Amino acid sequence: MVVQAQQLYVQAVPPEDQFGDVTLDGHVTPNNGPVVFNHWLHRAKFTCRVCHVDIGFAMGANRTGIDAKTNQEGYYCGACHDGKRQFGNVTAFASCQPDGVAKANFTCSRCHASSKTERKYTYKEFTAKLPKARYGIDWMAAENTGFIKPIDVIDGISIPKERIKNRAELSIHPQVQWFTGIHFSHELHSKWNSCELCHPEIFPTQKDAPANISMYQIANGRFCGACHVKVAFPVNGCNQCHAQGPMWVAGPGWVM
Amino acid sequence: MRKLAIVVSVLVCTLAWPQQLAAQSQPQANAAEQQAFQREFDDVCSRTQGAMSLTRDELKDLVRRCDALAPKLAKLDQSQRKVYKRRLEQCRGLYAYVLDTRKDSDQ
Repeated sequence: MVVQAQQLYVQAVPPEDQFGDVTLDGHVTPNNGPVVFNHWLHRAKFTCRVCHVDIGFAMGANRTGIDAKTNQEGYYCGACHDGKRQFGNVTAFASCQPDGVAKANFTCSRCHASSKTERKYTYKEFTAKLPKARYGIDWMAAENTGFIKPIDVIDGISIPKERIKNRAELSIHPQVQWFTGIHFSHELHSKWNSCELCHPEIFPTQKDAPANISMYQIANGRFCGACHVKVAFPVNGCNQCHAQGPMWVAGPGWVM
Repeated sequence: MRKLAIVVSVLVCTLAWPQQLAAQSQPQANAAEQQAFQREFDDVCSRTQGAMSLTRDELKDLVRRCDALAPKLAKLDQSQRKVYKRRLEQCRGLYAYVLDTRKDSDQ
């Protein structure tokens, strides 16, 4: 059976070391280039909930409002990167310090891309021992086998909460017959997420949502695609959701 | 002349004193308001993970408390306001969402 990639609407994925990278270029100056945020580094250390609920990072371009001032005051990046907060035996370096210009030779360049960018970690070295998926890292296996232990609570920022209850599992039936249904697990998603991260912003109530969720919408960043296009495992791996779907769709022009 | 100078000095100090007191107490009042906001926010938004177990009345009360907190965002400083605006929207949004699903299932 020939399946045209256009029917599946998925895009080609970038190299693994660039998957999940977010470029923040709202405050570029001659001294400080854009910030390239690596999800692969942070998700090994923290749950999605810590950043996208407790600290308040929105999941979309220009929707959070990060700038040097907010960081200096201890919000957003500065919530952890204050030069004092300890994670194990590591002290998070201070971001956007008031005398950052004077220290531009090192502190600023940890995040702001420039000819002097000095990154402490590279993708290849950092992920060398982590279990691999068809594409990128198998993060669930990494946690289940103890390679990573994501932090779920930041003192002074996270509100102590009970564990999610009523973790309903859902069966979702596709519109086309040549794909099998999806078993959506709240159990798995609530391990790293909070209810308010998805509901209602990503998944509204039935009366506010379209009658059917399509792959076109997902591939364009709506619904599941809010995470599973650019950060969580990409929708190119069909059989990660559709039990009997193709293993991988490379992108436009792909033929099964 | 000397007496006049003393009288004027005393007058100036007397007029300036309440303003000085107000200026000193302003940061304290702001800090107290921020702490009160934080306490209420933490209490209201700590129940999101158990939202599905709450009754409709409890959910309505939480939505009402979120709505009561919203105007107090204006008293926070700019950076705090940005952070808590989003967090409050998420928190209120979830309670309203769960309440809506209850209505859907009741119909």
